[in-house]
This record gives sequence, C-alpha cells and structure tokens, in this order.
Amino acid sequence: MPQAGTTDAPVAPGAVRSAARLRALFANFFSRELRTRYLGSATGLAWALVHPLALLAVYHFVFTTIFRAGAVATQSFLAFVAVALWPWLAAQEALQRGTVSLANYAGLIRKAAFPHEAIVYASVGATLVLQFAGYVVVLLVLVAIGEPIRLQGLLLAVPLWLVMAIAVAGVALMLASLQVFVRDVEHVLMPVLMIVMFLTPILYPLAIVPERVRPWVAANPFAWLVTRMRDALLDGRLAPQWGDLVALGVATALFAAGLAMFRRLSPHFEDFV
Amino acid sequence: MAPAGGGAELLALDGVGKDYPKLATRGGRLRLVADLLRGRAAASSFTALDGVSFAMRRGESLAIVGENGAGKSTLLKIVAGVIRPTRGRVAVHGRVSALLELGSGFHPEYTGYANIDLAAALLGMSPAEIAGKREAIVAFADIGEHIHDPIKTYSSGMVVRLGFAIATALAPDVLITDEVLAVGDESFQKKCVAWMEDYLRRGGTLLLCSHSMYHVQKLCAHALWLDHGRPRMLGRADEVAREYLAWHEARAAEHRQHRRDVVGDYAVVALSVAPVGGGAEVDAARGLDVAVEVRSPDGRAPVVAVGVVRADGTPVYGTTSELDGVRPRRLAADRYAFAVRFHALPLLPGHYRVRAHAMDPEGMRLFDHHEAPFVVQGTTRELGYCRLPHAWTADGRDA
Repeated sequence: MPQAGTTDAPVAPGAVRSAARLRALFANFFSRELRTRYLGSATGLAWALVHPLALLAVYHFVFTTIFRAGAVATQSFLAFVAVALWPWLAAQEALQRGTVSLANYAGLIRKAAFPHEAIVYASVGATLVLQFAGYVVVLLVLVAIGEPIRLQGLLLAVPLWLVMAIAVAGVALMLASLQVFVRDVEHVLMPVLMIVMFLTPILYPLAIVPERVRPWVAANPFAWLVTRMRDALLDGRLAPQWGDLVALGVATALFAAGLAMFRRLSPHFEDFV
Repeated sequence: MAPAGGGAELLALDGVGKDYPKLATRGGRLRLVADLLRGRAAASSFTALDGVSFAMRRGESLAIVGENGAGKSTLLKIVAGVIRPTRGRVAVHGRVSALLELGSGFHPEYTGYANIDLAAALLGMSPAEIAGKREAIVAFADIGEHIHDPIKTYSSGMVVRLGFAIATALAPDVLITDEVLAVGDESFQKKCVAWMEDYLRRGGTLLLCSHSMYHVQKLCAHALWLDHGRPRMLGRADEVAREYLAWHEARAAEHRQHRRDVVGDYAVVALSVAPVGGGAEVDAARGLDVAVEVRSPDGRAPVVAVGVVRADGTPVYGTTSELDGVRPRRLAADRYAFAVRFHALPLLPGHYRVRAHAMDPEGMRLFDHHEAPFVVQGTTRELGYCRLPHAWTADGRDA
C-alpha cells in the first residue's frame, strides 16, 4: 500500500501502523513488563502488596491516633482510606512508570519502526493490572478482619478503574512524550503528585473541607473517582450517575489529547530518546 | 535508476531530505517541543540528508556509499520507517526488514529467544506465526546455548549473527542492512554474503550500506554515493565504487602533499597527456602519449623524469630521459621538449596521474613536480592497480 512520508503524514513510511502490529507489540511488551517488574525478582510481587499495606497502616495510625481526622469519617477510617488510597497509588505509579517507560526501549526506538505508544500502554497497563489485583486482595483482607466493605461494590469499581485507566493512559502519553525532550518532567512529577494527593479527599472526607474551597477540591477528577469508589464499596450505592458519563467523557478527552500530542512528537523520539 | 527487469516498484524516494533540530540550551528543548506540537519546523536545524531520489524494483540491489556522517544511516532509517523525512516523499510497497547497525530492533534485556518474538511483533506477527521459523533462525545464527541469555551479554559478533538470522527469516520484500557485514567473523560473513547472493537470485531486493567496495560490487548492481547528505553519484555499482575510491585516494594525497617550492631554474612549463587514438579516457590496450616541455636557464639540455602514479600518489612506474639515453628536442634557446608513449598500459581501470619532474643536465638534482590526471577506461572487479599476466592451470604448472 502506498504511504506518503511527508511531514504531517499520519503514517510513517515503510511502516504499517496497523492494529495487528500494535496489538502484537502491546502483548509482547505487556507480558515482558509483568515478568521483569514483579515476577522476575523473588520479593517483587510481595513488595507490591506490602508497600501499600504498610502505607495504609501508617496513615491509619497517624490519622486516627494522632490527628484524629478519622473522627469525621462516618465509617471505619481504615476502610474509608483503603478504598480511595489504593486507586490513587495505582494511578501515581502508572504515571511515574509511564513517564519514563520510553527510555527503557531507547535502543528499539532508535533502530526499529513501530508505534511507540505500545510501550506506554504496556507500562501503564501492567501497573494498573497488578495494582488492581492488589486492590482486590486488600479488600478481601479488610473484609476478613471485619471492616465494612461491600464486595458487590466491585461491580461499579471495575468500570471506575477502567475510566481511570483511560485517563491515566492519556496523561502518561503526554508526560512520556514530553520526558523524551525535557528530562525534568520525571523529577517535577513526584512533588506534583504529592501535592495533588493532599488536595484530593483521600485521607479526609470532602465534607470537612471548608465551604469556600470545597467546589475547587471537588472539581478534581480524582475527587469524583474517590467519592464514587466510596459510594460503591462502603455504601453499596451502585446506581450509575450522569457524572459517570461526564467522567468517561473527560477521560476520553484526556486520552485523545494525550495520543494527539504523543503522535506529534513521536517521529522525533529517535533523535532524543 | 535504470530498471533491470520489469518488476513491480517496491520503493520510491522523491526529493527526500531530513533535518535534525539543533539544541543548545534547556529552554531550547521546551521551545522545540512547542514548535513540534504546533507543526512548525525547528528554529535551527542541521540538514543530514537532502534531495535524495531513487526507485527500486523487485530484484534490484542498491548500495549506499559515502563517508561517515554522509547521511547513509539516516537514509536507511527513513526507508525502514524509523524516522520520517522532513521533505520529500517515500513510498514503500511491501515488507521491509531492516538490520540497522548492531542489535537493531533488539531489546538488550530480552533473551535471544524473546527477541525473536519481539522482531516478529515489530512486523505485526504473533508468536504463533513465528513459531515455525524459530528453529531456522536459531540454526542460522549458530550461537548455541547463548540463545537463552539476554542480548546484553552477547558479543557484537553474536548480536549480528542473531540479527541477520532474524532479518532474513522473516521473508522481507526489501532487506536493508547497514554495515553488518563488517562485524561478524569471516566464516559468518561468507555465510551472509552467500545468503544475500541467493536472496538476490531468488528475486529479493537489497539496500546495502557498506564501506567495503568489495561487498558493494559483489552484491549490488547499482550504487548511490552520498556526500554531506547530498547524492553525488547514482549509477552502476562498479562505476560508483571506482569514482568513490578515486575521490578518496585523491583526498588522501591532498593531505599528504606539501607544496614544493620550485628550486633552481630548471622547470616543467607544460605537461600534456593524451590517450593514443584520442578520446577522453585511456584505452589500456592502446596506451598513452605524454609530452613535457622544460625550461633550461643556461641553455643546456635538461633531463626529465616521467612516471605514472595512482590517484593517491602511490608510484606505479617511473623513468628518466637520462636512464633511457634520450635527448630532448630543442624548441628555443631555453626550451626543450620530450615526448614519450606508454603503449599497452597494464593498468586496471581507474584514476591515475602522470608525474613529471625537471632535472639538471647531469640527472642529479630534481627540481619541480608536475602532474596531469588520466583515466583508464572500463570496469573490473580485479584487485590492485596493474594486471599481471597470468593463466589458470590445473595443477599450478604450465598447461
């Protein structure tokens, strides 16, 4: 099939940017990510579970015993934080790994023709899949120790995770393509994520935020996600809302913008990665 | 390029050029990203490749030659689809398998086996599709148990072995190789060359980049010479190789040559070279006429030294009028003329120069140094610069 290789051509010359190839590459990178990242080392998978559990324990101690923010939560503070903290940690790790993922494939990018986004998808996908598995394990642990978790809430939580994955993939595409040219992205990302986390009602309920700033805090897409997770898993409210559709729209828009930016910049990766 | 057969056009480049953005500062990187996102050209750029056009049909073979930094790799990367050209159009009809430099398309952390799957995925093939070819690849690469080790532990020779084995097993319509023949050991090189010759015989299309004019002429019918990113010559491989080598030799000689001041007063005032029977190039079978005019300050008949050197200055043969007992023809009180015919030059086709020195009448002191170039016509794959009479015999004795 003839392909034009002009500057704005959407298709790289000599390359068939077909869906089949993207799928084959994604499958290859994805299984590789899973294997090397977690299953490769003896403690890898265990660590993926221990880290958030330890963090959860620390937050529980700090916020219920020292700051007593837990008192404002209607339910158990442990369940209240766990339900929201885990998706946040998953998104955070996916963004961080996704941002630097292209560098791991520098040799390939310089020498082979393929759709580079497969790398970012695999990195983000592998992180979220493993984190979701961890999430389910944590929920089961919480149920086992008598915390008020409603497992049927997963019926809504799974679609929520998917919406989150779309949004995270979009932002990761932006950050990853920017990181190739500006190495500071990786270093700026950590403190920014820290700030966003504390601005998101993860460790505290939205209700205790002062009226004045509450709309601003609530406007954070992640605040919506957290609220819906709690609706589902703590209160068992599974009915879809119009807001869910808006969230899906926002996530799709983020993804489209991320992919557009990535495709614009990816022909130049070879020279900078 | 002149199509050899009537095969389908697999590859066509039209005015292809590539600019790389130049960066100085961190701020420059941000500005560059902004420019790229708005679809504008980078503020300052370096032109790696410009104005390259050629077409290849099925069964053709083209070599890219040129110095390091001439744009060869950039061109191959464009054809392979790794980079997008800044200008011009590239049309590729078929499956391109590229072996760009060492370990191209390999992930260093993957084992040899896993890289076979990766290479297949890069072409959109599933592991199942490649399964049948794995054994052939492993056998061709011939790297033993190392196939289960990560590529990063391989020697460069092993990387090339595996790379070549994979690139060739995937039945490409166009095979692109960049200097890979320079790496493997000799027996593997032979295996690769034999494979490529067979591939070409079966109608394969080869785009080869090499510094070895031997490989260029052996494997490719045509060649493109790139000089500073621009095409300098496109034609038959042996002709391009000849011109390219001559240019190299001439440049090397330029570096060596010290400008010699004319000492004394005996001097060559004219040197002319003409093929016997006319024409621009010398027919080796007919020979070469050389005429030298020498100024003599004291009116005595001078001696002249005349010889042939290669384009790089390596002497081939030289003699003097004194050695041969020849006296010049007197033109004027201070002018003497020499004429010498080199007949049946046993020189291989290529670029040479006639060199002449004026000498004092005693034939003791060498004065100035003049040269005139000439070309021995024809093409050959023989090696060296002169043809020694020889005959092939059954057992090394006279037949």
